[in-house]
Amino acid sequence: MLQFAAIILLMLGLYGLLTQRNVIKIIISLNILEIGLNLFIISVGYFEGGLAPIFTSETPANPNFVDPLPQALVLTAIVIGVGTTALGLALARKIYQKYGTLNLDEMGEN
Amino acid sequence: MKNFLALLAALGLGVLIILSLQNNTLFNEYGEDVTGRDSEEYGDREYGEENPASGPANIVTSIVADFRSFDTLGEITVLFVSSLGVALLLGGTKQKRLDLGFHPNFMLRIGSKALFGIILMTGVYVTIHGHLTPGGGFPGGAMIASSMLLLYLADDTFRAKIKGFKILESVAGSLYVLIGIAGLFFADYFLENFLNNGVVGDLLSAGIIPLIYVLIGLKVGSEISGVIDNFLTEEVV
Amino acid sequence: MSAILLIAVPLLAAFISILVKKVSPYLLLLVSLFALVYPFFMDMSDVIIGGFDSPIGINLVVNKFALTSLIAVNGLFFLVVAVNIAQYKKLSSILLVALAGLNGLLLTGDLFNLFVFIEISGIAAYLITTTNKKPLQTFNYLVAGTVGSSLYLLGLIILYNMSGTLNMADMATFVEGNGMYTLFPFLLMFIGLGVEAKLLPFNSWVKGILGHSNNLSGAMIASVYATAIALVFGKLLAGVFQIEGTLALIIALVLGITILAGEAMAYASTKAREILLYSSIAQAGIVILLFTVGLGAWATFFAIANGVSKFILFGVVNRLTEEVGSDEMDQLKGSFVNNKLIGVSFTVAALSILGLPLFFGFVVKMNSLIGFFEPDFVSNLPGGNFIFPIIILVASVIEGVYFVKLLTKLWYKDSDVKVNFTPLFKYVVVVLAVALIVFGLFQGEVEELVASLINPGGVFIWN
Repeated sequence: MLQFAAIILLMLGLYGLLTQRNVIKIIISLNILEIGLNLFIISVGYFEGGLAPIFTSETPANPNFVDPLPQALVLTAIVIGVGTTALGLALARKIYQKYGTLNLDEMGEN
Repeated sequence: MKNFLALLAALGLGVLIILSLQNNTLFNEYGEDVTGRDSEEYGDREYGEENPASGPANIVTSIVADFRSFDTLGEITVLFVSSLGVALLLGGTKQKRLDLGFHPNFMLRIGSKALFGIILMTGVYVTIHGHLTPGGGFPGGAMIASSMLLLYLADDTFRAKIKGFKILESVAGSLYVLIGIAGLFFADYFLENFLNNGVVGDLLSAGIIPLIYVLIGLKVGSEISGVIDNFLTEEVV
Repeated sequence: MSAILLIAVPLLAAFISILVKKVSPYLLLLVSLFALVYPFFMDMSDVIIGGFDSPIGINLVVNKFALTSLIAVNGLFFLVVAVNIAQYKKLSSILLVALAGLNGLLLTGDLFNLFVFIEISGIAAYLITTTNKKPLQTFNYLVAGTVGSSLYLLGLIILYNMSGTLNMADMATFVEGNGMYTLFPFLLMFIGLGVEAKLLPFNSWVKGILGHSNNLSGAMIASVYATAIALVFGKLLAGVFQIEGTLALIIALVLGITILAGEAMAYASTKAREILLYSSIAQAGIVILLFTVGLGAWATFFAIANGVSKFILFGVVNRLTEEVGSDEMDQLKGSFVNNKLIGVSFTVAALSILGLPLFFGFVVKMNSLIGFFEPDFVSNLPGGNFIFPIIILVASVIEGVYFVKLLTKLWYKDSDVKVNFTPLFKYVVVVLAVALIVFGLFQGEVEELVASLINPGGVFIWN
């Protein structure tokens, strides 16, 4: 089921990117897309009954851990998403300073 | 019309992803375990084992900071360059706090002072225990930065010492690369874990990994604090 | 010495450079010179990182292809930096990160690591384009680039779900055995990289960026980045995904349309920078088309020849635009009459892209076309043996028309346009133009060099 939630978020993000005309809303759409993607990555490693991949004193002898690699990948993807979002917001402030609006249709370019 | 086309594109993407997953007879959606994937070998140790190939009790950490440490180096570079970019776009020589028309009241000022220490300590704890429990340098660093954000919220004239953050950021990043190069010269490979891995599950175990995670925590914390500062200030005109 | 230093040293320099702002431009020059020289001295063996063999760890693949790419990209990078750094000292740290990112793109042997490097070099590229002072266009580039890399990652994760590996060599083995299943994820990855490589229909950002480019951003994006991304495409298309059948046909057709549309737009444009940017869209299409049909070795040199020419073309035109204040062809009329040396170099670069004899561009274009008719070239497309040479020839004819138009305007006799070029820039441009001619004259040697890239089995890249 997790995968379907992720796919719905991906679709929402893509729809938002294609229809929205406000710079901030575009950044939000981008974030929804990224969150969907991150959830999708996690879901790829999950299976029914898998344990969290951490060794503790209570870990059984032959532990059936979920796939830890997607979890490591998603950490990287999240951080990269933070970086691009910060940059996008900084650009949005620059755009507002220059045009006095955040709506793409009101800027008189493109 | 345009919205309809966008809807079609989004639906098309979703349907294709689902189809590609169902066609996939090679690896079932909900498999039984990780057999057949490369990640089989990542968890090849036991609790309490002495000096295994990779030391952290948290397998995700052993991937992030050991097996695929090179990705992580790239990841902090992404954060580094985007914080540089934010500073390049919004920063300047003479900065003052942005006037948001919002003045913190008594409760917020006192409450945030009490919370600041707790959040900071939690951040440090999460960073230091990254190889044993979920967490590590990235969430820990973000917590440290959020304690800084609290200070900014509680006082509308407050500004952190950005110069100090810059030094911290630079030193932590350089040390990470230098540890990597030390691996190349003292052992055989770049970013090799050249210290003893200790006992799986101990606080002082896993060789260089806690060290790397502390560096990452410092770097992420100072970078995000720098970004917060850049967003909450403006050039004096 | 290990190839890892090509990535580690620029990164270390970048981290240090934010503390020593005063000397950071010199640090950048020094490190980019190091990155240019170092490939000649490094070991030709794959590099293991962290002490874990691939696919458990990440590895760098060092082979002749990687070496050729590194020398070309780092060489162009060094020249761009050397010519422009005095004007853009603020960007030194970012350019250092860009250098590390580009080297990582060309070296890495891991598909997820490639994604990380795409993001590093991508974010550095967005920041380089902020010097255009067009935040909206940079924002569009950022959104397009981020969506592109997200699609790449999505495709990669679906592939990981199927194969359980992220390593390029292992993935190649998997894809070979399960071609059918990998169609859709491959398409996602192709689209994702296609955004950066300026392929139709994902190239709407290009006009905003290169149409307003300055001395640094124009040469950086059109020459250095374009070459690097094309070579990464080649690495994936020749080394991991050997596509065939209907999919190859669809992709090749899209590429064909990219080429022709790019050339047509260039033909219709009256602004010098727009002509060049549309032409570079078409060139990117040709390079990736050559990689798709399996003529990888010549495609590599096609990309390099194009990168060198674009450095000269964008460098000169941006300098002219800066002085004249407009890039309309009519305003630039006769710019070369007072700058004969620059004019001649510009002409050489344009004619080389066109593929006239005596120039490097001729050697690569001629041999790529011959490649289609070699007896051992088996086209993986129906009719591919003659459709694509025709497309490339038609594209060359259109190129001929608009470049001649541009050149006659720029060489127009009566003119009072006076533009000063720095001696360093003049020197670099002339040296590159001479290099284009030298490589064009020593055709046999170039052909031998290219032949050495292809192994006896015809397998290009791995080993």
